[in-house]
Amino acid sequence: MSTVGAFCVTLNENHCINSRMPGKCATCVEICPYGVYGLNEEHEVRIQNYNACVGCRLCAEFCPENAIRINPAESELVSRYPWTLGTIEEIHHKALTGSYGLRGFGTMGGPTPHFDTIVVVPSQLASPAPRDKYREECSMEVVIGEETCEKPIRLRYPFIFPAMSYGALSREAKLALAIAVAKTGIMTNTGEGGVVEEEPYYANGYERSDRKRKIWEPGGYLVVQWSTGRWGVSADYLNAGDAVEVKIGQGAKPGMGGHLLGDKVTEDIAAIRGIPVGSDALSPCRYYDVVEPEDIKKQVEFLRDITNYEKPILMKLGPSRPYEDVKAAALAGVDAISIDGLVGGTGCSPEVVTQGVGIPTIALIGPAARALKDLGLHRKVKLFALGGMRNGLDAYKAMAMGADGVGFGTAAEIAMGCRGCMACHQGNCPYGITSQHPKMRERLDPEEIGQRLANFINASAEEVKILTMLSGHSDIKELSEEDLRALDVNTAAITGLKLVGYERPLPWWENGHGN
Amino acid sequence: MAHAPSVLDAEGDSLRAASTALKAMLVEDSALVKNAAHLHGLCGGLKSGEITIQGDSGDYLGVVNSGAVIKVTGNAGKYAADNMTAGTVIVEGDADYGAAQYCYGGTVVIKGSAGDFTATMNKGATIIIGGDVGDEVATYMVAGDVIVVGNAGGNLGNYLIRGNIYVGGEWASLGHNCAVSALTAEDVQKLEALLAQYDIPTDGREFQKITPLSDKPFYSH
Repeated sequence: MSTVGAFCVTLNENHCINSRMPGKCATCVEICPYGVYGLNEEHEVRIQNYNACVGCRLCAEFCPENAIRINPAESELVSRYPWTLGTIEEIHHKALTGSYGLRGFGTMGGPTPHFDTIVVVPSQLASPAPRDKYREECSMEVVIGEETCEKPIRLRYPFIFPAMSYGALSREAKLALAIAVAKTGIMTNTGEGGVVEEEPYYANGYERSDRKRKIWEPGGYLVVQWSTGRWGVSADYLNAGDAVEVKIGQGAKPGMGGHLLGDKVTEDIAAIRGIPVGSDALSPCRYYDVVEPEDIKKQVEFLRDITNYEKPILMKLGPSRPYEDVKAAALAGVDAISIDGLVGGTGCSPEVVTQGVGIPTIALIGPAARALKDLGLHRKVKLFALGGMRNGLDAYKAMAMGADGVGFGTAAEIAMGCRGCMACHQGNCPYGITSQHPKMRERLDPEEIGQRLANFINASAEEVKILTMLSGHSDIKELSEEDLRALDVNTAAITGLKLVGYERPLPWWENGHGN
Repeated sequence: MAHAPSVLDAEGDSLRAASTALKAMLVEDSALVKNAAHLHGLCGGLKSGEITIQGDSGDYLGVVNSGAVIKVTGNAGKYAADNMTAGTVIVEGDADYGAAQYCYGGTVVIKGSAGDFTATMNKGATIIIGGDVGDEVATYMVAGDVIVVGNAGGNLGNYLIRGNIYVGGEWASLGHNCAVSALTAEDVQKLEALLAQYDIPTDGREFQKITPLSDKPFYSH
């Protein structure tokens, strides 16, 4: 719990039903998982702990009389930079507990370069004419493993839901993701916490494990993850999905393994992971069974063998040295590579790592694509950019920089209802997304939330279609860096894009020293 | 009457070729594989069958084994029986670095010695080493038994959460969250039965038992 309090909680007693009729309404007391509100002996609602508020605003949303306001307290202290409220909170936490801070969700604030300083260049006369979004076709399909696998994956849209484990997410959230991919023809990922029983057939569009009745069209795909903790991994698990992903790292905490705190390790999750109930599941930072580069190639080979050479093998990298890392991954023989940026999401990570370790997403994509081009594998080994993708505009920019598709992780959580309170690690998610508490989980209906996710994916796909066609293309594979301009020197410097107004890349990129 | 197994000479074969041939043999029969030292990940993910590797094996032998009985008459490469969930892997000789890591179940028997990081993250298997083991053995073990007839290196059982480590010789040092416990009558009975079953001599050694101090050994945050 915070010491200073990051949010101001205000209850308007003129509107509050309970203030007028004690004992009649206590929705806020009932709904807040952090104990901000309480009832006194007269059954009157009282704000009993301002500092516990994480800013999820669920109380304000469900208050029948709109009597609650939650406002950030940061503005009072923002002028004291660098001693912001967050910094003061961090120091108090360490002084009181002797422990470093952990955080869910991802990076916040700060100067991290992102897609906003890049613009799309539309077509007029000097380039192929725009395509008609309303009356012409635009291909957005991405095929993974077409030349290497007996059962390649054909994504209808260039989107994936990246790995988010059962444990970090609730069972209901995992099933909502599976239903959403079935409804949109894209793919989701188990993450490293084993597979939820229904996930494989839900993701493929089937109601039951006998796969007789397909209820969600067109059907999507499930990737099972092979990771450093190897939680719940068996031959059946590896064959339960449509592809296997070898996890090397993730954007929010490259160089560290997964953190699942004991509060979220329920009986079910403990059974899957093979650890005691309530025990922290802290995955190793590296594979104990990989000590030299050649070993990872051997792993890719035996994963193909165990899955009967039918399924694509993918690899996920954190943001480190994108050119060299992607080259090594491609040479290991995988069919697709996901590279996750500094802005990538997390269920739980040390704050200093989430905030300050890794390379921004926009600086990863160019070198990653160049690595594949230099190997003659660009557009053959598929490249997915992850980390801070918010909409079709970010997706378009990532693909024009060389990615074949993008991952929506944090955006998917928000589409499920998340308000970004950054307390996923505490296990009290009031929307039931990152909580294992039955009371929170019952608030998330997988079918309803699966439809919300599908809506988000469909809308984002339409955005990609608009942007692809107005820039003169009818296939996302035609997108290139020429379709983008950097708005400032910094962005041009780290991406190699042409600088708007200058209409050329910065000199060191032109001289070929930009990797 | 037992009959001779089908024989696969894997010399020059790719993993795919050897594995495809092996799986075809196992439908009806047990198999003897020769010249397999260059194959990494052989016998991966098998759910049944009896396979004997004549001579040495490559790395990742029997990875994700889910029920097969795999015997190696020589030495095993790195990461033998990696991530096994069921079945048996028996190595008559020595095993290189990282044998029996990430195992959920089944039995791994290394009759010779084994390298560093053996039995790391054991999650329920019985792992027996007839000789000595290297450093960092049974790191982050969450369940199962690790039996070392000989000596163990440093940081043995680091971050042990559950399970038992039995050592017939000495260890260089114990890792975090380890305690030396009294050997019970059940322990003695279990050890005698297992070692007799796999024909492993103990030279009359008395074993010591290491167990976790706590099943939640990590720092609070």
